Amino acid sequence: MTELDHRVQGVDHVAFPTFDPAATVRFYRDVLGFPVVHSICAAGWGPEDHPDFIHFFFDIGNGDRIAFFYYFGADPAIGGAPGEKGDVYARFGAGVPEFFVRSRHLAIHVENEDDLLEYRRRLDASDWPVEMQIQHETIESIYTHDPNGYMFEITRAMRPVTPQEDLDANLTIDALLDVVGEPEPTFGKLLARKAELIVERAAEWELARGSDR
Amino acid sequence: MTTLYVLDVPENTPMAKVAAEDPAVTVGRIGPYFEISAAGPIVIDRRATGCRHAVWYSAVGGVARDSRITQHDKNALRVEPA
Repeated sequence: MTELDHRVQGVDHVAFPTFDPAATVRFYRDVLGFPVVHSICAAGWGPEDHPDFIHFFFDIGNGDRIAFFYYFGADPAIGGAPGEKGDVYARFGAGVPEFFVRSRHLAIHVENEDDLLEYRRRLDASDWPVEMQIQHETIESIYTHDPNGYMFEITRAMRPVTPQEDLDANLTIDALLDVVGEPEPTFGKLLARKAELIVERAAEWELARGSDR
Repeated sequence: MTTLYVLDVPENTPMAKVAAEDPAVTVGRIGPYFEISAAGPIVIDRRATGCRHAVWYSAVGGVARDSRITQHDKNALRVEPA
């Protein structure tokens, strides 16, 4: 529901800190076979207390990249107490639920099941074996944690996303915004608001689709 | 009156099919959604649908305000008049 034209072209790079660049290179380059495509060696950058650092990039397909910062002399404890849940960027107390800790993750797309299983084979033969392989609604994914504790997913579509799923996603988000704008949002209130939006908009969508033919 | 909506995608079509086996239940369409309605409760057996769990637990698109979900577990989905 936006009039803004869509000029973006996917992920340039996503970047994280690492305290173990050797394991990070082993995982992404030597286990998965993601080429190293760029690096920046920066000394004396920024304010006086900014550590010297290496910023290095791996190709994750389509020219998109995952990048890491390695800060010389940085104590891993700056990311939080060692042994806590989470990754090296964000650590969480023992009481923080696992679903919350795992919610932030990177998912990389592959074309088909063969490619997914090829990465499964590579990971299972490494120090970072696949922890889960799951068929969701329309995608199948493998998961592991990289050497830094980042949740890492590789996924393939089991079928293309249909136009009605895009409509459904927009109705969900509009219903969600309405419900979280009120006190005490619940899942039940979301489904009720969405039912109203389906009645208001879905039949019209069918007509619009029909006139396109 | 009890009404729920299920998006018509291949994974969800068994939901509508199983619901329609109950003579008290009507399955119609509104846009790309199945509109599943009845005067009383609507009960859909999960095993009869063959839906995987990820599909089963995310298949409900909407539930009318005069209806409410009273059961949605690995066995069945049950929607009743509120």
